[in-house]
Order: sequence, then structure tokens, then C-alpha cells
Amino acid sequence: MSLQDHIESLTVDRDEGVVSSVDRNKAIAIAVFLVPGLTLFGIFSVGPIVYSVIGSFFAWETFTMEEFVGLDNWIRSLTDPLIIHWSNMRELRYPMGALTHNLLWVVVHVPASTFLGLGLALLFADLRGRRILRSMVFAGFTVPPIVIGLVLLFVYDPQAGIFNELLRVLGQDQWVRNWTQSPQVAIYALIAGGIWVHTGFSMLLYSSALSAIDPSLIESAKVDGANAWQRFWDIIWPLVKPVTAVVVIMGIIWVMRMFDIVYAAGGAAGGPNHAYSVLGIEVYRAAFRPEIDYGMAMVVALIQLFIVAPLALYIARMN
Amino acid sequence: MGECDVIPHGMTSISMENVSKYFDGGETVANYRLNLEVDDGEFLVILGPSGCGKTTALRLIAGLEQPSEGTIYFGDERVDGRSPSDRNVAMVFQNYALYPHMTVAQNIGYPLKVRGIPPDERDRRVEEVTELLHIEAQTHKKPGSLSGGQRQRVALARAIIREPSVFLLDEPLSNLDAKLRQEMRTELKRLQNELEITTVYVTHNQEEAMSMADTVVVMHQGTIQQIAPPQELYDRPRTTWVARFIGSPPMNLFRGTRRNGSIDIGEAGTIALDGVASGDEAVVEAGGGDEAGSAGVLAADARGEISLGVRPEDLTVTTTRPSSESVIEGTVDTVEPMGEYVLVNVVVNDQVVNAKANEETVERGDTVYLTFDDGKAYLYDDDGELVA
Repeated sequence: MSLQDHIESLTVDRDEGVVSSVDRNKAIAIAVFLVPGLTLFGIFSVGPIVYSVIGSFFAWETFTMEEFVGLDNWIRSLTDPLIIHWSNMRELRYPMGALTHNLLWVVVHVPASTFLGLGLALLFADLRGRRILRSMVFAGFTVPPIVIGLVLLFVYDPQAGIFNELLRVLGQDQWVRNWTQSPQVAIYALIAGGIWVHTGFSMLLYSSALSAIDPSLIESAKVDGANAWQRFWDIIWPLVKPVTAVVVIMGIIWVMRMFDIVYAAGGAAGGPNHAYSVLGIEVYRAAFRPEIDYGMAMVVALIQLFIVAPLALYIARMN
Repeated sequence: MGECDVIPHGMTSISMENVSKYFDGGETVANYRLNLEVDDGEFLVILGPSGCGKTTALRLIAGLEQPSEGTIYFGDERVDGRSPSDRNVAMVFQNYALYPHMTVAQNIGYPLKVRGIPPDERDRRVEEVTELLHIEAQTHKKPGSLSGGQRQRVALARAIIREPSVFLLDEPLSNLDAKLRQEMRTELKRLQNELEITTVYVTHNQEEAMSMADTVVVMHQGTIQQIAPPQELYDRPRTTWVARFIGSPPMNLFRGTRRNGSIDIGEAGTIALDGVASGDEAVVEAGGGDEAGSAGVLAADARGEISLGVRPEDLTVTTTRPSSESVIEGTVDTVEPMGEYVLVNVVVNDQVVNAKANEETVERGDTVYLTFDDGKAYLYDDDGELVA
């Protein structure tokens, strides 16, 4: 060690006191800035979750916590045919239970709106007037879902609805019906409406992902001899993959939290004989409609949370 | 699409006939009536400032743009209207356009993959070109983790792997630092010599153009100004624009009036025309072309505005008035020692003239006399066309 290094190390030692006092000030500042946010987060997010977790193990008399009942609420909720209806599921008959309906939304709505969004984004990418077209498709997503639900009621109305009118025009009169009130098809009618709205969202994300792709990559692929499909599959699709993850997860979160559209179309029962009820509806009904079953409301809300939270966490931690 | 309808490798000349390209419904003219011949195996450089339409010209050859007017031939085959993949061209883009999600080997092998060449054959050829370009150690990396020079090599490898009939390069060296640029210039030239592929290279850098090209095409505002080998371009610039574009610092142009067989450039002096005009007769014919005709332009009694061009390196600066008849007088404005030479900026008729001197013998405010060898001066008419 040279003399110079030795002197430098001495200086560093002496500075340590100053450094730690700076760190202390910094820590105080960080704490001060964090307190408001953390307080709100604690009161409105962590608090209710903890309260629900605790409450789900207790018996409730309306809104008053009674004695500890262990897993009673959980067992009762998970065996409730309103949540999972095993016998109807075996016969492929609705209602199949709110959780099943939610999963059906995931299975049908999410892939459909994702691919439609990608398709529209690709279609609009090089089109004249693409901004207007994009805005029009996206406009649906800006409308409150409760309004979407009401609009769907109109669309599917047996007399005035445009959908049934379209069937009549096409000469398919045997299909004309009150779509939102026919138990075996109503859920698909609502999912179709959900896809229509949500496609705008996925299209917008895909559009921005596509416009972020350097056009010279596509041109390079053209020169390299790739045809349209090869250009899509080898270049575009891998480059929009991260967006696909976001679109899919946001879609799952959106449909797992589904409430408004179903409520507007089918009320607090979730359609005739709960034909297309979803978890959100069940939470609402258990918590606010007689007979009030607060324990069950907490359990069902927590089930929703368990499904959505990991997905949200994944999105939040994505690069 | 089989290999059969792709232009075969080996003998490809390119010819563009009256090719124009308009954008925005004719509002923007990118290229206007380009006529261009590229011989098989030739290294042609399109040189011009940014926005001159040189990249559009290259994209027309590649097939990434289709001409608004005119025809393009590869050999005897008409290719305008055909897609890039039908033309068997390879292109290196300015930003390299490497596929960021593929490894180097996948990038280089991609043109073979889309042509359905089996993986064994693909691997073998990837190995070959990576060795040729000294990037065999990088094949498993993604482009994002490569240096600029390595990316450049990968782009080149991807372009040459399928033995294209035409090799197109769009400002390939502009993203590299000076030292690397020099290196890659030599390497590119070596590669082109070895592979003997017809090459069109676009650049705004005249040094690159002069050092690499067999033929240089100078473009300005969408039109071709001159097509010539590099030395001829320097020795006989056909227009004042080319004269000032080629060479650094640019050629000095003295505006003057022709009178009695000499040019009067105001208070600074008079230059005898006969010496200058006695240059190459053939070139005299090539220039001019106006209603007056070249002979008329040079006639002793011809009158009118004319420009005399002399390169800075051909001007001699002296402090004593030489006996020669053609002398230009001026005042030294600034002196810039550049190491290799000294740049003397002289004010002549309110116009700054650059002269390269060997030594710093003058200083600001000195009255100096500029002389030149008649054979190294050029005359341009009112339209900026070379007269002599």
C-alpha cells in the first residue's frame, strides 16, 4: 500500500461520522415522505384485507363479530352451489356457480379480446385514418361498465334490440330470443359484450407495442425473404410478447373483478336463477342483501383476491 | 416461392431508367429521372447530403419502394414491381436492424431459415461467414450485448450468407466511431473484392465514397449531379455544386464578368481566360450545352457572368506581387494551423477564400496575392455547369 493510499484510508475513516449523519437525515426524509402514502394504503388496503382474513374465521350476526368458528365459513362457501355447482357442471347446465362463471369468462373472454385486439392493431397499423379507427374502438373501454351492461340489455332486447333485428334480417328468426334472460346462453351474450369493450384496451396496448417496433426490422425481414406470416411469427410476435403478458393478465384481473355488466343485466341475483352470477355479485349479495352473511362475503372476496393478487404482483414486478 | 424465380447469383448488373419517386401524392419529389448503370461486380457509391434522395434510390433498388415512374432492371430482367424477396438483394441498414430477440447465429441464419434451408446446412454456412467476419465467438449472444462494430459485422454476415446478387448498404458506418469506421471501411472493401458482388453503397461521407468506390454517383435534391470514378470527380467536377461538395475545405468560386478574353473579378484582379480555357477540349464539349454552345461561351468576345473555381490546395499565397498576369489580391482574415498544412482564409471582394499553405508565413491584415496553375482552375457558367 502506497503512502497516498494510506492517507486516503485515514480520511475515509474520519468522514464516516459525517456520512452516517447524512444517512440519518435521508432516512428521516424518506420516512416523512412515505407516511401519507403508507397510511392510506394501510387504512384502505391492508386493513380491510387483514380484517377480512380474521373475520372469515368468525361467526357474524349481521355486522357484529361473534364467536370463532374455524373454517366453517370457508367450508360453507366453497360447498355452496352458488359458488361452485358441481352437479350442474357435470351436466353442462347453467348456473354452474359464480367461481365457474368467472373462470369461463377467463377462458373465453381473455383469449378472444387479446387476439381480436392484436388483430385490429395489426390491421390498423398501416391504415390511413388509423387514429380515428383506434379511438373509436377504444371509446368502448372508456364507458363505465354499468353503462355497458345497460347498453347490452338494449342490444339483446327481444323487440327493440339490434342483435335480434339482425337475426331477423338474416332470416334466422328461430334464434331470436331475450338473450340476457335465457339461462343457457345469457353468459355468452354478456361475455361477447365484454369482449367488445375490452378489445379496445388490448388493441391500444398492442398498437403502441407495434409502433415501438423499429420499421427497419420489418423491412430487413422483407429483404431477407420472409413472407407476411413469417414476418409476423418470427419478428412481430416475439417482440410484442411482453405486451401479450400484460394484456392477458390485465384481462384476467378485469374479468375476475367483473360486477357491473352482470349487475346491470341480471340484478343482484346474477340473472334468472343466478344463471350468470359472478364472484363480485355473490360478495355483494352476501354482504348487503338479506339474509346477510358477512362471513361468506369475506370468504368469497378473499377467493377473488387470491386469484388476482399474484397476477397483479407479476405485472407490477415486470420490466 | 421457389428459388427458380429468384434472380440467379453471379451476373447482376443494375440499370435504372428514368426512375422517379414521388411521395404524398406528388408533393414531395424524392428522386427525379434517375438514370444509372451499375456493372456486375461493381462497387458503386451514392454520395450526397442528407435529404438528397440517396436512401430512396437505394430502397427503390431493394424493392422496399416502388418507382412512381421509370423502370429498373437486374441484368435483363425487369424487377420494378417485384418484392424485395424476389430480387435476391441483401441490405445492411444504417441501424443494422438486427432482430433483438434472436441470437447472433439466429440473426445470421434467418435469411436461410425463411428459404427453408435445413438446419445442418444453415449451421455450416453460419459458421463460415462468422469466421470470415471474425465474430465466431459471439454467435450465442443477443445483439443487445454486442459492441457497435460487432453488430455491424453481424449485419454484414446476415447480408452475405445467402450469396445475394446485389448487396445494398445504407450508411453502414455512420454509427461507428472514427477508428472503427476506418477499420470497417477496409474490411468492407476487402469483402467486396473477395465476393465480387454488385454493391450499392449510400453515404454522406465523401471520404468513404472516395476511398471505396469504383464509381461515385453524386446526388443533390433528388437528381444525379455527376457519375464518375472518384479521381475524376475530384479532378473534373461537372457542376459548381459538386465542386463545392467534393473536397475539404470546398473549392473556392470567384464570381466575375467575362471581358475581352479574361475574367474581371472586381478590384481583386483580372484572370486571363486563354490559359484556363486551353484545357481538355472534350470536356469543353461535355459542359455548356446552352443556346450559346460551348464554343460561344469560350469565345474571346463572349460576355456575361462566370465563376472561376480553384481548390484551396491549388492556390499559392505570396506576400509580394508575382509577375504572372493572373493574380488575385486579398487580405488575410485568419490563419489556422492544422498540423498537416496551414489554412489561410483570405478576404477577396468581401468573400472568404480558403488556401492551403505549407508554412505560417502570413498573419491577419496582410495583403497577399493568390496565384494558381491554369490547368487546375475550372470555369462554370451562369447555371453552374462546367465550361472548362
